[in-house]
Amino acid sequence: MAAAAAAAETAAVAAEDGGGAAPCAGAARAARLPLSRVKALVKADPDVSLASQEAVFVLARAAVRSGAGPGRAELFVETIAKDAFVYAQQGKRKTLQRKDLDNAIEAVDEFAFLEGTLD
Amino acid sequence: MAERPEDLNLPNAVITRIIKEALPDGVNISKEARSAISRAASVFVLYATSCANNFAMKGKRKTLNAGDVLSAMEEMEFQRFIAPLKESLEVYRREQKGKKEARKDKDKKADSEEQDKSREDDNDDDDERMEEEEQNDEEEVDN
Repeated sequence: MAAAAAAAETAAVAAEDGGGAAPCAGAARAARLPLSRVKALVKADPDVSLASQEAVFVLARAAVRSGAGPGRAELFVETIAKDAFVYAQQGKRKTLQRKDLDNAIEAVDEFAFLEGTLD
Repeated sequence: MAERPEDLNLPNAVITRIIKEALPDGVNISKEARSAISRAASVFVLYATSCANNFAMKGKRKTLNAGDVLSAMEEMEFQRFIAPLKESLEVYRREQKGKKEARKDKDKKADSEEQDKSREDDNDDDDERMEEEEQNDEEEVDN
């Protein structure tokens, strides 16, 4: 089971590299998609009966874009990190801090669902 | 120790790497910020799942599919995620298809029976359960 999960993850990442076809694609591959962890999150929802493999993949990708691949637009983690960083810059800091994140969550409408969930 | 869903965090290494990629060189992230972002990502998945599930239920389906997740992105006002996600999905599908072909060939060699083909097609019911093997064929029914 664990082997299968690892294989699926590796394959998913390999697919992304294959899509890029750049010689440095391998080096640019930053992180593996944590499909098994995302699966655990999906299963945690009592209202969800089943989810297709594809659904889990898209969720993982939306949350955590990993490395090189088609569509360089930012996805969730990148988006929130960048939005939070604006506040660090305002405070003339080079270290992103928790309060920067709180500020971003308060300021950005799309992050409203996060309010009260991070403590 | 019972874990709340939000405590199921995504791997720290992945989160850290992505944050660093998103930010300019030389920027650091405090441990608290990193952990909060990780938690936020988990909440994001949970919320997206719940949203996606609504779409599945609306479509009278018991299985969440990729389309439901994309609809959820729209609903959550993350429309700009949709195009890149669709592209990634295409790559993923091609790759899965390649695996399926490879497995079929392997089975043919192993058993060399015609029945293998129909056996794989009939296994659509098993595919929906994601508890077991991830290597099952993706279900192609409701998209």
